[in-house]
Amino acid sequence: MSLVNFTAREIACKIVYYGPGRSGKTTNLHYVYDRVPDSRRGQMVSLATQTDRTLFFDFLPIDLGQISGFSTRFQLYTVPGQVYYNATRRLVLQGADGVVFVADSQAQQLDENLESLQNLQSNLLEHGVDVRSLPLVMQYNKQDLPRELILAPADLDDALNFRGVPSFGADALHGAGVFETLKGISELVLKRLAAGSPA
Amino acid sequence: MTTRAVEPWTLEPMVGFVQEAGARLVLVMTSAGQVLAQHGFSRAMDVMSAAALGAAIMASTDEIARQLDQPPFAALNHQGERHGIFLAAVPTNRGRLVVLVVYDLDVSSLGLVQLFFGQLAADLRAASPKPEVPKQVLAADFERDLGNSLNALFGR
Repeated sequence: MSLVNFTAREIACKIVYYGPGRSGKTTNLHYVYDRVPDSRRGQMVSLATQTDRTLFFDFLPIDLGQISGFSTRFQLYTVPGQVYYNATRRLVLQGADGVVFVADSQAQQLDENLESLQNLQSNLLEHGVDVRSLPLVMQYNKQDLPRELILAPADLDDALNFRGVPSFGADALHGAGVFETLKGISELVLKRLAAGSPA
Repeated sequence: MTTRAVEPWTLEPMVGFVQEAGARLVLVMTSAGQVLAQHGFSRAMDVMSAAALGAAIMASTDEIARQLDQPPFAALNHQGERHGIFLAAVPTNRGRLVVLVVYDLDVSSLGLVQLFFGQLAADLRAASPKPEVPKQVLAADFERDLGNSLNALFGR
């Protein structure tokens, strides 16, 4: 849930990067961390296994600066994508203001993407949140791979984007689409605040 | 030492606790890790990291308790060589809050922290306001500000 301080004019929002294992959630945060100036970001915290797979979450706070007179901070989280970490995935979702679903564009990963999307819906419901009411964008990552291995964004939209939410093709390793995705979810989350909806 | 509250009603209870318990760092946060009040941190961003980790520890032990079919653990304590960490939850009108306390072992002790935590919990419960109806926050034309901010952030 967004934290809004009308006295100090500050806003803090929680964005969660969700998706199947190895889809590129942590890579998105690493790219943001590398590109954002020191003064506008905090430490990146990664609770990972010895083989650098996310165990609990990655966390990166960034300072967006003044938006409409409010000092605005976003807290970016990733969840562990591997199926057997569902309990921790559900915990990280608690209080999320928006979700970026990072799908793996490889054709052979389509079932994993669908399973993760259903898992997102079910974990949100456990927190009493209807996925249809939560700001959500889709990112189709690994679009840099050979065409014969991947599905095009339009095909992934057909297969995964049931709600017709904003979607972005990406190559998170090299940064393509990372900024656009963050901008997309930021707009949705702040639009919700601007409308005075319950955050 | 930086002492500040995002929600002013949390400040007085926290300041009283810091003085009585001799705490070095204190965070009062929501169960999702949003900071409501802080004492002793110098960089706002590091506060957020500490809050995210503290909330995660509480959330994971709550989940273990749930799976054991028992009420949530009341408090957690980790004692290091020089510092101790104390984490506990407080139900309030504002929802379930989490308090993270770091104390120096040569200044304070777990017993002292536990003793005054009870008072902090009671003060927070008494001071917490009833939930408000959400109101409009940002102007409708915030998109331009957001675009400029993100462009600056990414050096575009």
